[in-house]
Amino acid sequence: MNTKLKVSEISKIYPGCIANDKVSLEFGSGKIYALLGENGAGKSTLVKILSGVVKPDKGEVFLNDESIKLNSPLDAKKNNIGMVFQHFNLFETLSVFENLSIDSDKKDEDLRVLVNDILKKYNFKIDLDVPVLNLSAGQKQKVEIIRCLIRNPKVLIMDEPTSVLTEQETDDLFISLKKFSKDGILIIYITHKLKEVLSLCDEVAVMRKGKVVSVSNTIDEKIESLANKMVGENLNTIKKKINNFKNSEEILKISNLNFKSDDPYETNLNNLNLSLKKGECLGIAGISGNGQNELFQILSGEIITEGTSIMFRNKEIGKLNPRERREYLMAFSPEDRISQAAVPELKIYENVALNNFKSSNFFEKGLVNEKKIKEHSKKILSNFSVNTDNVELKSQFLSGGNLQKLIIGRELITSPELLVCFNPTWGLDVGAINYIHETLIQINEQGKSSVLISTDNDELLKLSDRICVIYKGKLSKIMNADTVTAEKLGILMGGGSID
Amino acid sequence: MSFDLNFIGILIGAIMASSVPLILAASGELITERSGVLNLGVEGMMIIGAISGFALMIVTGNLFFAVIGSMLSGLIISLIFGLLTQSLLTNHVATGLALTIFGIGMSAMIGKNFVGIPGKEFPLLFVNLKESIPFLGPIFFGHSIILYFAFGLPFLTNYFLKKTKTGLIIRAVGDSPTSASNQGINVTLVRYSCILYGGAMCGLAGAYLSLIYTPQWIENMTGGRGWIALALVVFATWSPIKVLIGALIFGGITILQLHMQAVGLRIPVQLLSALPYIMTIIVLVVISRDSRKIKLNTPTSLGQIFYKEK
Repeated sequence: MNTKLKVSEISKIYPGCIANDKVSLEFGSGKIYALLGENGAGKSTLVKILSGVVKPDKGEVFLNDESIKLNSPLDAKKNNIGMVFQHFNLFETLSVFENLSIDSDKKDEDLRVLVNDILKKYNFKIDLDVPVLNLSAGQKQKVEIIRCLIRNPKVLIMDEPTSVLTEQETDDLFISLKKFSKDGILIIYITHKLKEVLSLCDEVAVMRKGKVVSVSNTIDEKIESLANKMVGENLNTIKKKINNFKNSEEILKISNLNFKSDDPYETNLNNLNLSLKKGECLGIAGISGNGQNELFQILSGEIITEGTSIMFRNKEIGKLNPRERREYLMAFSPEDRISQAAVPELKIYENVALNNFKSSNFFEKGLVNEKKIKEHSKKILSNFSVNTDNVELKSQFLSGGNLQKLIIGRELITSPELLVCFNPTWGLDVGAINYIHETLIQINEQGKSSVLISTDNDELLKLSDRICVIYKGKLSKIMNADTVTAEKLGILMGGGSID
Repeated sequence: MSFDLNFIGILIGAIMASSVPLILAASGELITERSGVLNLGVEGMMIIGAISGFALMIVTGNLFFAVIGSMLSGLIISLIFGLLTQSLLTNHVATGLALTIFGIGMSAMIGKNFVGIPGKEFPLLFVNLKESIPFLGPIFFGHSIILYFAFGLPFLTNYFLKKTKTGLIIRAVGDSPTSASNQGINVTLVRYSCILYGGAMCGLAGAYLSLIYTPQWIENMTGGRGWIALALVVFATWSPIKVLIGALIFGGITILQLHMQAVGLRIPVQLLSALPYIMTIIVLVVISRDSRKIKLNTPTSLGQIFYKEK
């Protein structure tokens, strides 16, 4: 079967922002199409229009040369357009099967047969009767995909599907997508990761500021050419100097640290040992859910540990809370920008005040000194090139990249000796990632240390001086970064052993 | 005091009767909350049900009309809550509190002319069986039809939520209204329906009080039962069967402590009166300790306002 999908002159305007500006594109089955662009380029709006979640102000969608109306998600389903959202649309407390049956007209028994066929055909391994909250991100995504496949889709749209996946899961996903494409499903793949475009897709459309700026075959493109089209300017590549820390002073030492949690959803940590020198970046790799969260919280003081297992600048800090640790010149950038690092409903300057509320002169006799906080915040915004100078703006209106710059800036402006960051570039676009990476390299050059907990291996290899892997709450031995390859990391992350 | 088996049977029957309004109101509220709506107006809807049931019975003389009317009035008053929270997107907690205050005031106003009028006898079923079988008779027979309905309701609710498509949709909406909406489910419609159902059940619970349990109209006669029903839903971790257990414990200890007071035990009356509240909470907390089950049963979006992206 042949499917042709065409969007014609689609426009969507939000207050203060043109999300889609006369977007026209054509797709045909048998190929995988990439829709590439930075955060805020208008990709997600376009796919929301295609899936009926958002109505366009102008423009038309044609499926096999017929104009179709997409007023609701139901219309998209009726027209066999399937969509896997970046933020999963699953019901966490319902079982996998319940999630699948909720929008199916089939009888439960028939549906089960059909789902089992799909599982077999594409080699998916998922227990249908466990609640979704017990699944890994990769499995959740498979549930979303199965939900689309049940309806025999002609078009399958994937919105930034790999942002939550490990490398192995990404490989699996690509294999599946290629199979779907062979089975005649038209695939539109939305991403800001350039490598994925080149390794998976046949054609690529680049969007910038709501407009389509280029459509081309991926064979004719390179990473650099795509990056430049996407950002609209030439990006300089960054590289880290390899350093020698034999003689520098040790700043952080963790010895024989154990953590046992009462919460069945948390990971226990077993006998952790690590040390970090001045000016060094220690990378910690691993598939998410192997204890990174707990390790970060132990370092930041969200989890208090007994005993003398954490030494920072020759002081025992295990019992100190995050504020006290900041006074000892530690700084933290948690994984979840929205709910852990910042309060989205508060204004920028209020968020800045939140983590400095003791050490500075922001507060006098219990009253807020707004003027001082605002001056301080303005300094952060300009020093860390956040794309606004309005400190009164609510933090929720900052894009992911700008919010991350604000968070890192807020931490670094007090010149800490150690920065602990957890997935600092998660979900960011190339421009912002570049900026954050440059900043992280800079602090090492200034003789400050950093711990980088990340699930992005490229990032780890680029920034770390030494790397180890966390697997099921245990750390591998710590290796020099120049002796480590992505393959080695992959083996250790999967629980294997090297040499 | 001699050991009298029949007396214990009568006592159990009385306990069952006293827990009926709690079971009805809590089962209704449970459905509402499972869809993610927190309606704190249970007390208000109950008292409106109580006065309208009683008033209709006096005016029409027909008990059937009275019962149906009480459910309708509970439904209408919950419709106000629905309009405010679902269409005008007001805060659930504040709106629910307002509804309770409104209901109590409104019922007192309507009820002014009905104070002191004796009610009508509500037909009880299988009365001869109640008297002829010792112990079991007073437990199983001689009750009103509403009591039998109330005791079946938690099981029906459980089946409905777990086994039917509609129940699945309600749980899905309570889990994530955004996902549900993206799946093409009309979240507002589902939530409206659940609010109205909850309102009707609270109305019926009120009617049980004013038509059967103490057949007369007394101002403020629900006496906080609506709040107990709300607490039962939460402490029973949104499980209908546990609501039933909780309601029976509460009813049971209420009746027992009254008897203890009558016997004249040397325990402060205040402590005895507090006993049902304390015991119910302790028992429900103990039987609902499984943190995994709590996580699976709790409607994640409870009390959150939902609006659709345009």
